[in-house]
Amino acid sequence: MIHQKNPITKSPNHQITKSPNLSIKIGSLVLKNPVLLASGTCGYGTELDGLLDLDQVGGIIIKGISSSPRPGNPPPRLVETPCGLLNSIGLENVGIESFLKDKLPWLRDVKTSLIVNILGNSVEEYSEIAKKLDGAKGVKAIEVNISCPNVKAGGIAFGTDPEAAANVTRAVKKATGLPVIIKLTPNVTDITEVARKVASAGADAVSLINTLLGMAIDIKSRRPALANVFGGLSGPAIKPIALRMVWQVVRAVDIPVIGIGGISTPDDALEFLMAGARAVEIGTATLIRPSTAGDVLAGIKNYMETNSIQNIEDLRLPE
Amino acid sequence: MPKFDIPAKIVEQTQLAHGIFLLTVEAPAIQNSANPGQFCMLEVKYNNSRDPMLRRPLSIYKTRTNGQISFLYKEVGKGTRLLSKRRPGEIVRVLGPLGQGFRLIHDRPCILVGGGLGIAPLLLPAERINQSGKLIILIGAGNVSEIPTIEDFSRLTRHFHIATEDGSLGQRGMVTDLLAQTLQEITGMAQIYTCGPWPMMKAVYHMACKKNIPCQVSLEATMACGIGLCLGCAVPKSDSREFLHVCKEGPVFDADQVNWEYTQ
Repeated sequence: MIHQKNPITKSPNHQITKSPNLSIKIGSLVLKNPVLLASGTCGYGTELDGLLDLDQVGGIIIKGISSSPRPGNPPPRLVETPCGLLNSIGLENVGIESFLKDKLPWLRDVKTSLIVNILGNSVEEYSEIAKKLDGAKGVKAIEVNISCPNVKAGGIAFGTDPEAAANVTRAVKKATGLPVIIKLTPNVTDITEVARKVASAGADAVSLINTLLGMAIDIKSRRPALANVFGGLSGPAIKPIALRMVWQVVRAVDIPVIGIGGISTPDDALEFLMAGARAVEIGTATLIRPSTAGDVLAGIKNYMETNSIQNIEDLRLPE
Repeated sequence: MPKFDIPAKIVEQTQLAHGIFLLTVEAPAIQNSANPGQFCMLEVKYNNSRDPMLRRPLSIYKTRTNGQISFLYKEVGKGTRLLSKRRPGEIVRVLGPLGQGFRLIHDRPCILVGGGLGIAPLLLPAERINQSGKLIILIGAGNVSEIPTIEDFSRLTRHFHIATEDGSLGQRGMVTDLLAQTLQEITGMAQIYTCGPWPMMKAVYHMACKKNIPCQVSLEATMACGIGLCLGCAVPKSDSREFLHVCKEGPVFDADQVNWEYTQ
């Protein structure tokens, strides 16, 4: 195929440059473009109505849903740090029943792929929620937050124990026919080990990174800034770490990798796609400017046109 | 309710007192749909700077029919300091109008109780109420310099009282002293609207309870998004272990919804 640098040049023998193909595949799921809204930063979708055209993004990942409603952590839940945001929201959510009844109907009318993030404190809880989502009209895939404490194992996060992470993956895969994306925590010694385990347990894709555990102290009140003491760090501060981990995981597993971590601009997203990510999630940046995902998508498309790159996969750097 | 995220041109940035500023921007879409008690999220960063990166929530202080809105704010940290350096002609991104404002009640005397810069969300309701019924305004501060815009309020009603802790203006003491005096004179039903420091609002609420007078409070909280995406701005509810969210269900609440005993 001939790529024309300048599509305005017309000659009967020359093909006009095709606009780039932005669509990508995650397992059996085809997304119209690689820019997704990250769980926990796009609410249940309705909150962004009028501020971001949800129809244009590649997918929307609904905030983590548990089997019963969760009230979340006491305040303060947020503190801003240099180029970052520490949060300890405590996975506040309406629970699976209310999600299906009150939130899902509105989301069905949005013309994008709907992915639901799920969380649990036991393998059984993950499995139960996945089963309930399996038959839910409109839900296209499940993203699994494995950064939650495993109550039966004394509260160690599933995602920090490769075996426990694989167990959750197997249970969710068994409970649903939907594509399953496992969201990895960076709070481990070797993220590729967990990635390999969940891949061999049947994960259709992995997304990374979840937030980095951190803390801040208010020196005026002489107390930890968050009521929960520790929180998850997100935002531009974590991007280099996220990019390094995505690079490593892309080279460790054969399943698609979705990049997350401080992506605020098209350039940030392109770095992740060049590292080999199949798609990216926009998180904290949406909190600051709701229209970010649209701007990132437009920037990626523009870059591909300018550089005559036809497919998202072609952005990946050669080995 | 429609929300707008618009690049707004600054038309005025005035330092009224030490650390206190009045910022006026052109934002016709927001001005047109704003209700008393609502707020906006303002981008404080320059260009593509990522520190600080979060917007700052500011109550809408004034609106003008020419499409301008004003914010009365205090420099409390890096974000508001950067905002105070912005000059007329520059563009600041403003997202709004946000949240649930005051539910105005017109069939009874209304008492506005403001502490310090907590007066910021109270001017719009004061102007509305003044058109229809009896309006009592009570304002308190540590010192007269903390409340440089009181004339905006004092011109609205002859039932205007002020208290400062150092006696630099009005009665020496607390705004709650003024409220106690006012409540003694109230015989029938009334409505309280208040905004200020947490201990002040708590005291106002307890005084309102004793007289069976409904009270609406405007709360503040650290926010990331201002539109209910992150659920960061939680405040404990009075009747359960659940939380209210200042940006979405608030910033104005019926005071009895809030767990006033909560301290971090």
